[in-house]
Amino acid sequence: MIAILDCNSFYCSCERVFRPDLAEKPVVVLSNNDGCIIARSDEAKAIGVGMAGPYFKAKPLIEEHGVTVFSSNYNLYGNMSWRVMETLRVMMGKENVEVYSVDECFINLAHIPKEKIYEVAFSLKEMVEMWTGIKVSVGVAPTKVLSKVANRLAKKNKAVTNCVLVLDSPRKIEQALQKTLVEDIWGIGGQYADKLKKVGVLTAFDLSKKDINWCRKNLGGVVGDRLIRELKGEKSKMMESPLTEKKIIATTRMFGSPVTDINSIKEAVATYTSRAAEKLRRQYCAAKTISVFVVPKEQNYNTHFRHGSSIGSHTKLLRATSLTNELIKPAVSLVEKLFEVGRSYKKAGVMLSDIVFDNSIQGDLFLPNNKNGGRLLMDMMDNINFSMRNDVLKFAASGTARNWKMQKNFHSPRYTTRWDELREVH
Amino acid sequence: MIDDRFYQSTYVGTKNFSQIDIQTANATGFGAAADDYAERGIDLNEQLIMNKPATFFFRMNGDAMQEAGIYPGDILIVDRSIKIAAGKIVVASVNGDLVVRYFKQTMNKLWLEPANNRLGNISLDEFTEYRPWGIVTCVVHILDPALIAFNTPRKYKK
Repeated sequence: MIAILDCNSFYCSCERVFRPDLAEKPVVVLSNNDGCIIARSDEAKAIGVGMAGPYFKAKPLIEEHGVTVFSSNYNLYGNMSWRVMETLRVMMGKENVEVYSVDECFINLAHIPKEKIYEVAFSLKEMVEMWTGIKVSVGVAPTKVLSKVANRLAKKNKAVTNCVLVLDSPRKIEQALQKTLVEDIWGIGGQYADKLKKVGVLTAFDLSKKDINWCRKNLGGVVGDRLIRELKGEKSKMMESPLTEKKIIATTRMFGSPVTDINSIKEAVATYTSRAAEKLRRQYCAAKTISVFVVPKEQNYNTHFRHGSSIGSHTKLLRATSLTNELIKPAVSLVEKLFEVGRSYKKAGVMLSDIVFDNSIQGDLFLPNNKNGGRLLMDMMDNINFSMRNDVLKFAASGTARNWKMQKNFHSPRYTTRWDELREVH
Repeated sequence: MIDDRFYQSTYVGTKNFSQIDIQTANATGFGAAADDYAERGIDLNEQLIMNKPATFFFRMNGDAMQEAGIYPGDILIVDRSIKIAAGKIVVASVNGDLVVRYFKQTMNKLWLEPANNRLGNISLDEFTEYRPWGIVTCVVHILDPALIAFNTPRKYKK
């Protein structure tokens, strides 16, 4: 059996751990730059606050009901996520836990006897709640896709299931599939859902009765094949080992307000480049291609919340590198190439690709070999920046004023990562 | 097998060390004698944090626990994985407020008791919204002004 453990409105739960006064009150969390609502507590859902809608549209409703609003505090969420996953690793063993996203993970229960499954699933939930304060739901079934089905139903009927649902008999699986619409199946997007509905496949149960070859043909080949096998209870998605190195690293942000001068954009891009280079060094890699893109603000007022098309360009470096200074230079000259005077921009991003391990960088005959002396400097910079204070040390190209910085009007303290922002008790 | 593992705590932090991490005298002359007795050294995390994912830091802002040695501005190390028991110092939410008190219990009564005779007990009855948050396992009281300047916001200074 496989379990999936999913945190209930994770970002809201993180805020609530340190704000017991908000325990049963409506809470929402906004995306970067306070643009959209990305997490809602059950109470906020009950009032009718929509998901992923722009904040300004929901504002009247939010003010009327006194909903507490938070800007996203990723320092806190990242730390709390680690705590949840670590708790599970301590309980079940490292090899049985597959972190799927910031708030979800698969747990292999193959070694647990059948009659003990529910007990184990329930204690997983209780333990995470006790150790971290985060409320979670657990779905258990023979396959990953079915465990997702179980998890969704567990979350939907919290009062009945107590947030734990185990599908351990064919009858229970059948019932659960009947209660799940095709668009709610893990891996079925909007387009496939429409296609399935047209041919009379409405629920997951209907789909599970379809022929494997039919799904192979109509649901995207191997992916559909795996999906249908999983729905029929045959394991075809295995526990995966974590992604150790990423193939592409990107850092992109919206500006706090539209930016019109080239220097601000250069500073922003230099800063994103430093961030991306840090990520690159964290996985002991170097990149050979750097791309920069900017997104101009649409002139039309109606499209205020839609992105304009992004304009981008890339440079191939002579030698793969992970040194911030070697990456900032081409990034900034790309900005010069892309920038048009008179336009205002709302977003920029940097992407590093062609990633190789930094101990296997191809040398270039015509470049001086710097023997990784730069890497030593970078490690020192990372060390200083990583111990608590962001960007104490940075390249001058990143600027000092940062007028383009993101808006974070409702930011909560970083309770778990900063000495001077600890939660107070009295 | 699982049952006896459920209540185990871990601190993995710096236990991942190897021979290379052990400091030796690195003497060019006669240093080998001390090298034979080289050890890893003392690590505060290892000693003060029993269960890392369940341990949180708080800041004391008030004198309610003064006689128990917890002063304004002190750092509290709070472990959520320890079972609550009478006599322990706990962090608890009372009507939405986070407080630090002794947890006290008799046959038919629960209450939170301050370590300061100016303050009264908080009785935990059906009219109080009470939820335990964690057990205070340790208090860090910083003495040297240089460290205080680095660690503690000015407002806590007495």
